[in-house]
Amino acid sequence: MMMVINHFKRYRHIAPLAVLRMAFGAVLFVSTVRFIVKGWVTDFYITPRFHFPFYGFEWLHPGSAGCMYTVYGLMAAAAFCICTGLFYRIATIVFFCCFGYAEMLDKTYYLNHYYLVTIFSFLLMLVPAHRYCSLDVLRKPALRVTQVPSWTILIFKYQLCLIYFFAGLSKLTHDWLIEALPLRIWLPAKAPTVPVISSLLHHDCVACFFSWGGMLFDLSIGFLLLYRPTRRPAYILVIIFHVLTALIFQIGVFPYLMMSATLIFFSEDFHRSVLRKANSGEEKQLVFSRPVRITLLWALSVYFLLQVLMPLRFLLYPGSLFWTEEGYRFSWRVMLMEKSGTTYFYIKDPATGRKFQVNNGKFLTPYQERMMETQPDMMLQYAHILATEYKERGITNPQVTVESYVTLNGHGSRLFIDSARNLASEKETWFGHKNWILPMDEKN
Amino acid sequence: MKHKKLAAAVVTGTFCATLVLFSCSKSDKNDDSQGGGNQSDTVLVNLGANVISPAFNQLATATAGLETVVTAFTNFPTSGSLLAMKNAFKDAYKAWEGVSAYQFGPMLDQSLTTHFTNSFPADTAIIKSNIAGASYTMDGLGNFAAQGFPALDYLLFAYNDNYVMARFTTDANATGAKNYLKALAGALKTKAAAVANAWSATGGNYVDKFSKATGVDAGSSLSQLLNAFVQDFDVTLQNYKIGIPIGKYGPNTLPISPEKVEAYYSGYSVALLIAQLQAIQTMYLGGNGGGIDDKVAATTAKNNGLPLNDAIKNQINTLLAKLQTLQDPLSAAVQNNITTVNDTYTEVRKLTVLLKADMSSALGVKISFQDDDGD
Repeated sequence: MMMVINHFKRYRHIAPLAVLRMAFGAVLFVSTVRFIVKGWVTDFYITPRFHFPFYGFEWLHPGSAGCMYTVYGLMAAAAFCICTGLFYRIATIVFFCCFGYAEMLDKTYYLNHYYLVTIFSFLLMLVPAHRYCSLDVLRKPALRVTQVPSWTILIFKYQLCLIYFFAGLSKLTHDWLIEALPLRIWLPAKAPTVPVISSLLHHDCVACFFSWGGMLFDLSIGFLLLYRPTRRPAYILVIIFHVLTALIFQIGVFPYLMMSATLIFFSEDFHRSVLRKANSGEEKQLVFSRPVRITLLWALSVYFLLQVLMPLRFLLYPGSLFWTEEGYRFSWRVMLMEKSGTTYFYIKDPATGRKFQVNNGKFLTPYQERMMETQPDMMLQYAHILATEYKERGITNPQVTVESYVTLNGHGSRLFIDSARNLASEKETWFGHKNWILPMDEKN
Repeated sequence: MKHKKLAAAVVTGTFCATLVLFSCSKSDKNDDSQGGGNQSDTVLVNLGANVISPAFNQLATATAGLETVVTAFTNFPTSGSLLAMKNAFKDAYKAWEGVSAYQFGPMLDQSLTTHFTNSFPADTAIIKSNIAGASYTMDGLGNFAAQGFPALDYLLFAYNDNYVMARFTTDANATGAKNYLKALAGALKTKAAAVANAWSATGGNYVDKFSKATGVDAGSSLSQLLNAFVQDFDVTLQNYKIGIPIGKYGPNTLPISPEKVEAYYSGYSVALLIAQLQAIQTMYLGGNGGGIDDKVAATTAKNNGLPLNDAIKNQINTLLAKLQTLQDPLSAAVQNNITTVNDTYTEVRKLTVLLKADMSSALGVKISFQDDDGD
């Protein structure tokens, strides 16, 4: 605890924060514009008739097309403002709210890197990253400071360490380490479109090497970046690792997010020389008032406790994590499974005994359907959507059952859900196990 | 000074890496020019040249033959030319089943799709009104169920030969009927010829493009082929050809709808189902060259303890055997012997799961692909 409190008393140069703000803000801006240009605002939020909001956020709904484009327009503008440090406080709040809103609307589109963006924009809200080398300083020179409490920089380092470390922990599985799965499926499949190293990717030993390399990288990179003597080679590793993943997989802006975020680990001298033009001027400390300090200390303690607990919550559930996906999201489990399924929903009218299969395409977009087909919580939501729809069509008490087959890492498809259970009468809970998911080892 | 250099190096390095990445990053969906450059894939080469392209040539020949006998019939309607027309229709319909798994690229470009070519049951009211002189566009909105094979099926087989002859000879709208018949056959012939030409090495040479779009990303040939073929099997064969007639699929078909089978009037449904599955089998095995089976066999994927490739091959054979126990007309079987049809449906379902979940997963191809940010 003393050490933590020390970070509220010890001061550091602000340059790392300013560089992080610019680099990360730039990536956010590019990624938001890219999202809009690719037409995903329409594809993801306007076209679908139904959505899969996160538990607790069912009250959120996508707005009209105009509204959704405004949200994304605001997001892009806010990212630009974050990058340049213009109206920074408002910009970070706007970005966090808009991005968080879009993320909560539909879990179909959940990605670990969107979660990373959400929490980084949350942390950026708390720190004075605009008080150096920014348009705000140009606008109001009085804002300029050179020394900030060291926690403002450390929280980003700790967050990144947690991300990499948990990503590494989640790779400690039989499939990943011993079978080299799913890389042994993906690498040969992707090989023809990968430049230079294409011919290597067909070998099983390369998949093994990548699996172990990835695991060791994730587990150790945080510490190597923290420790000064290993920092430079570690950053080179960061670049190699993320460039490789970007070349092999279609993972959008994720590598750039990580490469820009990990810059924070460099020493303040490094960051000061990046921003050497802004170095002239008097030294000034930013002092937080005592109540603010205490509030932040508590808030951040709770926040980091949650960050540690979230990835571990899977321990609350029985069964295989990758199979049930209970406690899977928000836990830095990245590219760990090749999972695929096919799912048939049936409606039964208990009054007449008639039972028929539903055309999923009439309710969901292909993307939503594909994601739903392997994720039980989405199946439950979809069952409720169907129950509501068919009630409106005149079936008083429709029973919804599902016949779902899923294969995980090429182990072979098997029945995924108890097809006798009426999902219309099952409820979602916070941490309750869904006992209608069949165990993976049960042969059907 | 040291830090300045380092900073400069990191900034330049990151910038260069970004440039490199953006310049080789994969392009978006619907861009079929992408894929692995000029390296071709031997399986794709074989499938394109020796399986898919010949199937389109077959369809082009069969539909051209159909058009010839339709013209002959409309010039001299005789019972002999009517019979020739019926036979040519069956040949062409069978040839259609040989290509229905390949609805991507040229087939989409030419609207030679299930929607326009094989929407059954036929909309007889629109067909009658088109014959009676209503103005229509063949591929126009709402005309999809009044054309293609189901429309011909209706016109040639819905009634006994005397009545059919009368429709084209003595009926008040006989000229309209003859013209519509010619238009139907003509549209099929034109589209089939255009697609065959687009695939042909001496024509549009899509076969070359197909062999070079390697990899498994959106727009790659394997992704397009498997998506098209799985959809054809899952939706058209499983749901439409069997699921709806036996009342398993959709709320409006209960308890059974035998009249909703494919080729209802000609009673040729089972033969067509077998033709479709045989075409799928040929494609999966790659004829005499490399097929999808080689790609699946190269993986470690298993199903129920068997190597996945064996499981798929076995299930195709099981289903073929099951289909061969069914007897045409399928509509009668649905009515009188539904247990056998239900059993067949169960076997179809097993193959759907193997193709849609296991095969796609083993090959790293996403079914119902939508471009996204990845993870």
